Amino acid sequence: MKTNIAVFFGCRSVEHEVSIISAVQAMNAVNRDKYDITPVYVTKDGEMYTGEPLFTVENFRDLPLLLKNCEPVIFERRNGAVHMVYRNGGLFSRKKDVTVDLAFPVVHGTNCEDGTMSGYFEFLGLPYIGCDIISAAVGMDKAVFKDVLRSAGLPVLDCVTFRSRDYAADKNAVISEITEKIGFPLIIKPVNLGSSVGISKVNDKDGLEAAVSLAASFADRILAEHAVTALREINCSVIGDADRCEASVLEEPFMHDEILSYADKYMSGSKGGASKGMASLGRRIPAELSPEKTEEIRKIACDIFKAIGASGVVRIDFLLDTESGAVYANEINTIPGSLSFYLWEPAGLKYTDMIDRLVEIAFKRQRSRENLTYTIDTNILSGVSFGKAGAKGAKF
Amino acid sequence: MNIILFLCLITAALSALFALVRQYQMLQQNSYFPSRYAAWVKESYSLPLCAECIAFCASSLLFGQELYAVQLAFLAAVLAVRTVSAVRTQKKSVKKLVFTGRIKRLFAAAVILLAVFTAVYAVFPETLAGEIFTVIVFMLSFISPLLTLLCRLLTAPAEKAIASWYVNDAKRILKEHKNLTVIGVTGSYGKTSVKFILQRLLSEKYNVVATPHSFNTPMGVVRTIRENLKPQTQIFICEMGAKNIGDIKEICDIVHPKYGIITSVGPQHLETFGSVDNVYKTKFELADEVIKNGGEVFVSGDSAELIKRTDPSLYRVYGTDKSFEFRARDISYSKNGSEFTAVLGKEEIRLSSKLLGLHSIINITGAAALAFTLGTEPEDIKFAAAALKPTEHRLELKPYINGSTLIDDAYNANPEGCIEAVRVLASFDGMKKVIVTPGLIELGSKEYECNFALGAEAAEKCDIIILVGKNRSKPIREGAESKGFPQENLFTVSSFREAMQIYTPMADSGTVVLFENDLPDNYLN
Repeated sequence: MKTNIAVFFGCRSVEHEVSIISAVQAMNAVNRDKYDITPVYVTKDGEMYTGEPLFTVENFRDLPLLLKNCEPVIFERRNGAVHMVYRNGGLFSRKKDVTVDLAFPVVHGTNCEDGTMSGYFEFLGLPYIGCDIISAAVGMDKAVFKDVLRSAGLPVLDCVTFRSRDYAADKNAVISEITEKIGFPLIIKPVNLGSSVGISKVNDKDGLEAAVSLAASFADRILAEHAVTALREINCSVIGDADRCEASVLEEPFMHDEILSYADKYMSGSKGGASKGMASLGRRIPAELSPEKTEEIRKIACDIFKAIGASGVVRIDFLLDTESGAVYANEINTIPGSLSFYLWEPAGLKYTDMIDRLVEIAFKRQRSRENLTYTIDTNILSGVSFGKAGAKGAKF
Repeated sequence: MNIILFLCLITAALSALFALVRQYQMLQQNSYFPSRYAAWVKESYSLPLCAECIAFCASSLLFGQELYAVQLAFLAAVLAVRTVSAVRTQKKSVKKLVFTGRIKRLFAAAVILLAVFTAVYAVFPETLAGEIFTVIVFMLSFISPLLTLLCRLLTAPAEKAIASWYVNDAKRILKEHKNLTVIGVTGSYGKTSVKFILQRLLSEKYNVVATPHSFNTPMGVVRTIRENLKPQTQIFICEMGAKNIGDIKEICDIVHPKYGIITSVGPQHLETFGSVDNVYKTKFELADEVIKNGGEVFVSGDSAELIKRTDPSLYRVYGTDKSFEFRARDISYSKNGSEFTAVLGKEEIRLSSKLLGLHSIINITGAAALAFTLGTEPEDIKFAAAALKPTEHRLELKPYINGSTLIDDAYNANPEGCIEAVRVLASFDGMKKVIVTPGLIELGSKEYECNFALGAEAAEKCDIIILVGKNRSKPIREGAESKGFPQENLFTVSSFREAMQIYTPMADSGTVVLFENDLPDNYLN
């Protein structure tokens, strides 16, 4: 009797392919003596499929063939448990439903990592690995993330946010606000995308137009913040929950461009071969920093993790101003590429054991929720009658 | 074949099925024990049973006289009465008959039995065999307890086979759970409380399943394993109840516990155990099994009957004494509950809890000892202890009328527990202390002594004593009077409602009232 983990990946997201790589890596790292794995691939249309071919990344090169060899499924809650139900087949030919004990979302980007997937699992009443709805949503929206951190007294760069519609209506007003409050050089980015999609650095007013229009094609809210010129980017992963968490070693990704672009993050080293995701990006681990700076960043990382109420494993990206020595939290990935396993192995936590820990954290959250009161046993309707006044006159 | 007589047989058989509803209901509520069911018949069904026998004689007389038409009319009337009565009693019953698989099999047995005997008459109508079986059908149809016991007997082998299939299935499930730790909890008193406390504390670290409610029989345990155990379950807490020697061993043979807690040994179920020594022997069947499995046994050092019979060095002892490995000290109570320091070996944790009473504190200490041994962090134990919810009507602290405070201990039935409840009441310094109680029952030869002691204790600790039931509460009154309790503060009333009429005018924010033992369910309305 093994715990059956459903690994969800793909989804209607620009980081669809990255998610496939992360998920296949994760599924291969799971301890199969302890867990059964049910892969659930969510297509770009949002349909869910399961099947053996989903364990091999090469099979994703020919999607129509892959889907032909897989089975469409849906999930439903029945008798206090969640079942994966096969959609195809008649009364006798349909495969037997599969009971799922835990969901493991390995998805990146909007429509999934942003709390959508967590909401789906909450609705089903299925325990799941990773951030809950609100922490995932806060983590996805860069503007809200900064607000939450600022009110918790954690270091972030000042920013201006505006809607692309407002920019189109009165460009000059927005530009003058940005120039006044932020100044050049600055960074323009959509508020809600990961993997550096739609981000550009702007050195003067001339570059602003193109940068905003690029960002606007990905989100309708845009953020402008000061660009740190003497910049090092430092990343730190955190594992745990709001009760107890732990920071990983630090990494410093090498930047080809001035900011780490989507191409840098996921397409490097892909000449001819398959991309290996975040794990293969050029980087230095551990980052070359003084022990004091390292500890400072690791502590801030844990504080951020707790401030947004995160759970599971996340990666927080920091900006280090080499001139002033100041550290700023730039963004959080609540489901980081490759689940940041490469930041944990140097400290002796194997990927397989890390997933074990994620499973434990997920069940712990489930237990603590079961210990809270969510439903009141008394049915208030039992004492209510609408009387002669009719339903409109009823008072509770 | 006489058609009218045949109709008589069918009608009688049908009426029997309706009569069985009530009989099976009581058989079910007596856990299918023929002896306990028979005791119910003797106690509460003797009059209807006489009526059934008379009706059988009347029917036999009519059969002997070959007045079949009259007999059919008589039987039709019986059928009508029994149908109405079956529907009525089911509607009125608090605990209705539950149509489980077993009840369905019992009904099937009755149908087959009556049908076969009726068929004998239909096939051999004019023979002696036909006549004998006719009388048998009438007899079984009329005398419903007889039919009940017969069906119970006939289904016994099948039930045994089904039960052993379930047991084997549960064993198979446990075998497949490679990393499951099983904890056995037993004791004369407090095992259900300890089970729930332990479950809450351990759930800070592990996926825990415990036997629900007070499921503590082999079949209750088997059902929990088959229905509640999940693949991710890491710890299974199994409450083990016993009424006879060997009962605990029977459960141990299914679940093989690695850890055990024995909460107490006391004079409970003496009618089946015979002596406290036998109770001790039975409870320690758990210890034998755990030690055989290389595990550890935790025992309460505060249970005098337990500790005097054992060698404490063999076990890990918890309680209140300094010499114990795990102990509670610096205990205090307030309107918000209790506070104490749990000493767990070298670790000391200050715990607070809404649970009242020394026994609760000892229970928490025992559960904390095991949870700590299994790696639960002290800060998690602290958090979980504060979140513990009192069991309903067991020293449950609630706000009450006119801003007064209620200690609801209406479900307590244990003499030591009652005295302890009075002590908890006494710990509310500077408040007016009131006790409302009808006293203890079902304690056999010790009943007078226990109630007298309760009265004496109440006289020393309470300001007002309100006794419910004039005759029943006499020993408490005498106990109170023996300590010179002032007459004007001692009230005896005949109902709970009257007790409230006395209490309400004196209740204010400086009053604390204890409801002790066996008050009706709806008394709070």
